[in-house]
Amino acid sequence: MAATNFSAASRSGIVARALVLPAALLLLWVLLDALGALKGGIVVSPSQVFGTAYEGFADGSLPGAALATLLRALTGWAIGALAGLVFGLILGLSGIARNLFDPSISSLRQIALFAWIPLLSAWLGNGEAMKITLIALGAFFPMALGTQAGCQNVPAPFREVGRVLELDRRATITAIIVPAALPSILVGLELSLNIAWLGTFGAEYLIGTGYINGMGDGLGAYLAAAREYARMDQVLLGVLFLALIGLGLDRLVLGFSRRLVSWRTP
Amino acid sequence: MADALTLSRPAARDAGAVAILGVSKTFHVENRTVHALDDVSLAIASGEFISIVGPSGCGKSTLLRFLAGLDRPDGGRITVDGEVVDRPSLKRGIVFQDHRLLPWLNVEENVALSLRSLAGAPADKKERVQSLIDLVGLTGFEKALPHELSGGMSQRAAIARGLAPRPPLLLLDEPLGALDSLTRSYLQDELLAIREREKSTVVMVTHDVEEAIYLSDRVVVMEPRPGRIAAIFDITSRRPRHRDDPDFVATRRKITDLLATR
Repeated sequence: MAATNFSAASRSGIVARALVLPAALLLLWVLLDALGALKGGIVVSPSQVFGTAYEGFADGSLPGAALATLLRALTGWAIGALAGLVFGLILGLSGIARNLFDPSISSLRQIALFAWIPLLSAWLGNGEAMKITLIALGAFFPMALGTQAGCQNVPAPFREVGRVLELDRRATITAIIVPAALPSILVGLELSLNIAWLGTFGAEYLIGTGYINGMGDGLGAYLAAAREYARMDQVLLGVLFLALIGLGLDRLVLGFSRRLVSWRTP
Repeated sequence: MADALTLSRPAARDAGAVAILGVSKTFHVENRTVHALDDVSLAIASGEFISIVGPSGCGKSTLLRFLAGLDRPDGGRITVDGEVVDRPSLKRGIVFQDHRLLPWLNVEENVALSLRSLAGAPADKKERVQSLIDLVGLTGFEKALPHELSGGMSQRAAIARGLAPRPPLLLLDEPLGALDSLTRSYLQDELLAIREREKSTVVMVTHDVEEAIYLSDRVVVMEPRPGRIAAIFDITSRRPRHRDDPDFVATRRKITDLLATR
């Protein structure tokens, strides 16, 4: 009981400390505005941004954009991470598969995510399919890599336990290899979500502004439009939303991971 | 073959006899040839408790890994009940010094894993797991994860896992080496009691001479470079033994003197 209270107390302490820097920056911003130092036009005033946020929520454009981006990111992530998990397992468990595919995958991995845009848009156009594919591609590699590395780096003592207990292939995989690989698989999962989130914005910003498809939707398109019309208040809002939702997603996966590998010595 | 062993098999009475014949092993380390084992031979009778002691590098752990079938010698051969050991088998249970419980499985699941490859009804297996957990004194800790256990408790769980398939031969690689002296002497008595019940042959590697004399029927002293058997001591006194008995003290003196000169 005492331990729970203590950890709860220290957690709120950590949250409070994490908020010190953002609060200080906000205060500085408000102060500078009050002193009249923000007249240049490049930096907008806090009240302007809050006003824009209020309008954005009132007409639903801001939550709508955020939701579109979130759904797109999660769809791409789910597809890419699942494919990465399957591929990583195959490569991690089979030496033959590794010989066949590993060199190719390793080379493909070197291609920057956005370098795929010309190729993918030629194949899939500039619509939703193309964006989702790009996001999934970004999520695929860290997941595949984490899974494969986890399966290949199972400590020899654990493998020996499988041998002395005469476990067959299937039992060895389910009872020893996959659980031992789980921490590495989860790191891959976290990383793939992160890449999917960053990639979604890129896809929306870079592809959504195509002349054929119009502006598209999502926070990327919101930011692209804000830039087009030199709306610094909207730019700031968009960036803030990207940061907050990204952080939320990251924390969600982290909490899920910690629960799954609770057997690890703290 | 895992299927040759079933849960219903009575405790081994005439099984677990070991023959080690001219076993050799060399390692190549940085252009040097190390004779880990040089022509080692030893016969172990069914039901015997054998301890192997010796300084590090004498090949005692290598020999135990050969008995387990985890590694294979360069020369010579090892048979258990006439069968050549060429791979691990549930007929030879092994308990490692670093307990090697799987950290993602609780005590019950860890012990049950050793019965996974055996024929038998799930209910019988469950019963066997529970009886082993009771035997090693972990009742009430069935659902505990390894990181929640003390070193002594982990080692008991590992012993339960080694014993669960009723191996005619039990191999112990410094099973109590990492424990404090109090837990250690307590578990030594438990080992004797368990072995009395399960009637298996036991081969234990240890660096503790007193532990070897306390537990064993014979103590095999090995020496390094090349790894070989220096002497074998018969311990004939009745159990329970006392560490201050004159013949206990005398044997310990002989063995430590022997080890000191090597």
